[in-house]
Amino acid sequence: METLIGNLAHGFGVAISFTNLGAALLGALIGTAIGVLPGIGPVATISLLLPITFGMSATTAIIMLAGIFYGAQYGGSTTAILLNLPGEVSSVVTTLEGYKMARNGRAGAALTTAALGSFFAGTVATVLVAASGPLLTQVALSFGPADYFSLMLLGLIIASVLAQGSIVKAIGMVVVGVALGLVGTDVQTGQQRFTFGIPELSDGIGFVPVAMGMFGIAEIVLNLERPEARSVLSTKVGSLYLTREEFKRSIAPVLRGTVVGSVLGILPGGGASLAAFGSYMMERKLSRYRHQFGNGAIEGVAGPESANNAAAQTSFIPLLTLGIPSNAVMALMVGALIIQGIQPGPRMVEAQPDLFWGLIASMWVGNLMLLVINLPMIGMWVSLLKVPYKYMYPSILVFCSIGVYSLNNNVFDVYMTILFSVFGYLCNKLRMEAAPLLIGFVLGPMMEEHLRRAMLLSRGDAMVFLQRPISATLLGIGAAALLAMALPSLRKGKNAAMAE
Amino acid sequence: MKINQRDIASGVFFIVLAAIGLWLNTEHTMGSARRMGPGYMPWLVFWLQIALGVGVVLVGTASGPEKMDRWKADEIGTFIGGIVAGFAAWWLLHSLGGYFAIGYNSLGCGILVGFLVLSIAPGWRFLGMIMVSMAIFALLLEQFGFFAALIGLIVASCLPEREHTSKPLGVLLCTLFLLALCWFVFIYELDIRVNLWPTG
Repeated sequence: METLIGNLAHGFGVAISFTNLGAALLGALIGTAIGVLPGIGPVATISLLLPITFGMSATTAIIMLAGIFYGAQYGGSTTAILLNLPGEVSSVVTTLEGYKMARNGRAGAALTTAALGSFFAGTVATVLVAASGPLLTQVALSFGPADYFSLMLLGLIIASVLAQGSIVKAIGMVVVGVALGLVGTDVQTGQQRFTFGIPELSDGIGFVPVAMGMFGIAEIVLNLERPEARSVLSTKVGSLYLTREEFKRSIAPVLRGTVVGSVLGILPGGGASLAAFGSYMMERKLSRYRHQFGNGAIEGVAGPESANNAAAQTSFIPLLTLGIPSNAVMALMVGALIIQGIQPGPRMVEAQPDLFWGLIASMWVGNLMLLVINLPMIGMWVSLLKVPYKYMYPSILVFCSIGVYSLNNNVFDVYMTILFSVFGYLCNKLRMEAAPLLIGFVLGPMMEEHLRRAMLLSRGDAMVFLQRPISATLLGIGAAALLAMALPSLRKGKNAAMAE
Repeated sequence: MKINQRDIASGVFFIVLAAIGLWLNTEHTMGSARRMGPGYMPWLVFWLQIALGVGVVLVGTASGPEKMDRWKADEIGTFIGGIVAGFAAWWLLHSLGGYFAIGYNSLGCGILVGFLVLSIAPGWRFLGMIMVSMAIFALLLEQFGFFAALIGLIVASCLPEREHTSKPLGVLLCTLFLLALCWFVFIYELDIRVNLWPTG
């Protein structure tokens, strides 16, 4: 305990240096702006800004990039609530209730709940990262490839179980995502797979073209086709103050969301979006006001928003302790660290105490800044959104196009974005969810690597996944989740059949 | 029968995609379960996808009734016409050389022509023109510069929206504003490496 406090004090010493405070503020501001602006997310922004960080010290660079990431969680909720357009995958869930609240004239209350919940969750999760980081480093050493594989498989199963609509279709989309992740150079043999001789594909299909196309551009086309459902509202934000009842109703979901988010954030492949989905499902089942869900229940904002921010913080745990990126943003962090000459992994706590503890302390400082940036200054961010959609969509297109291009300074990425925009449009028409695809896409390559390593170690015996206790437990949870979700839908199908 | 056309189409889509994947995967060595080759994981993934596709189709025979939006004659026509015209333009322009031989320009022209044809049908207007505008951006950016590409992108993307075509002044102001904003954000602040003006 004493060492923890000592370490945190050391971390705060690092975090409140002038440079690092500035880096956290800059990251938080940029993060909020890109979170608010639909169609440009933290992944694109962080990749855009990566070259600029080369000149900074490793700690400052990571503090700024981390600020963008969790700043986008705050900003993304603003867009989700006011525009029904998730700034990020993790705020998809917020649109469900938050946008309804905005339509009911309670946009201000939804924003306040989201910000306060996020701040509370961020604080708790930061302490959790500080406390569990060094411990998990020890546990991490007992994880074998089979355990990693099962962990990721569990993440994928949960992601599809929690997706909207048909579970089979969601799993199908996960698998399509994994298949897309196969494109590129095979890590072990160096053979080119499914690249059609295109050099740009040898590093795999870019995450950003897929995400931007399927979430950003396809959404623009769909919005334009349904003029009445257009996202930009003339809604007023209204009072930011919560009524006593709203405040009371938010407390339990925030607490539950923090727990769910902190736990799911740790899972590789879990992360913020999974946490938000998880919390939403939980509130819909547990809340006393569940009949209001779908019509603007504040629980559906408070829970998921706390969960995604908690998860955003705890998703640093696998990165800092195992060196495994739990999502695309963390993958970029790995890139940033390696460029700085630091190999992320279990030894980072010992070797880079400034970075490890400074980053943790700066997370809390950044969350505090974001509360100030977001609540009293909400009017400024909202004015960004008052632009009519007919002016908004060319702007989104412009930002996406330049952003995609500047990833590799290659127009090929723009053409890939066009391809995935059309694909995203078709998926929407066929009611196929894009989110599970994205998660499968990120995790697929890592799963393949661990599968191959596990099978090599077990000499081709697939039973290894059931013989290792950690792996078997994880697979058991996954199977249980699938069964549990299959039953109600079976029942629903039966009921519908009987009603006819 | 309670047929869900959307589910069946999704299932067929999964199966077709996986079948193509399996066919392409025949050129990769499978290896054994112990030492997996590059083809092992794709083989697993695509067979799983086929199984899921069959599952989706089976579910789709009972989860309806749900119908897909019916395509009008002009929509079918421009859809097929767009694909044909796109590939034809790609193949023809590529053999022309010059500008079209640089990078992916001929591919971009194919995309441009294809979606332009698609957007003739009113139902495809938005999908077609948004993709056209992005293709124009990509085609202009490297040889004609940042500003030309942005103007092309913005103007083309405004064309399908009736509120814009009736008020061209709004489009002009919007274009000027975005040019200034993008210059500030991407060139002045972020300093991305791209030509601002046409290169010789």
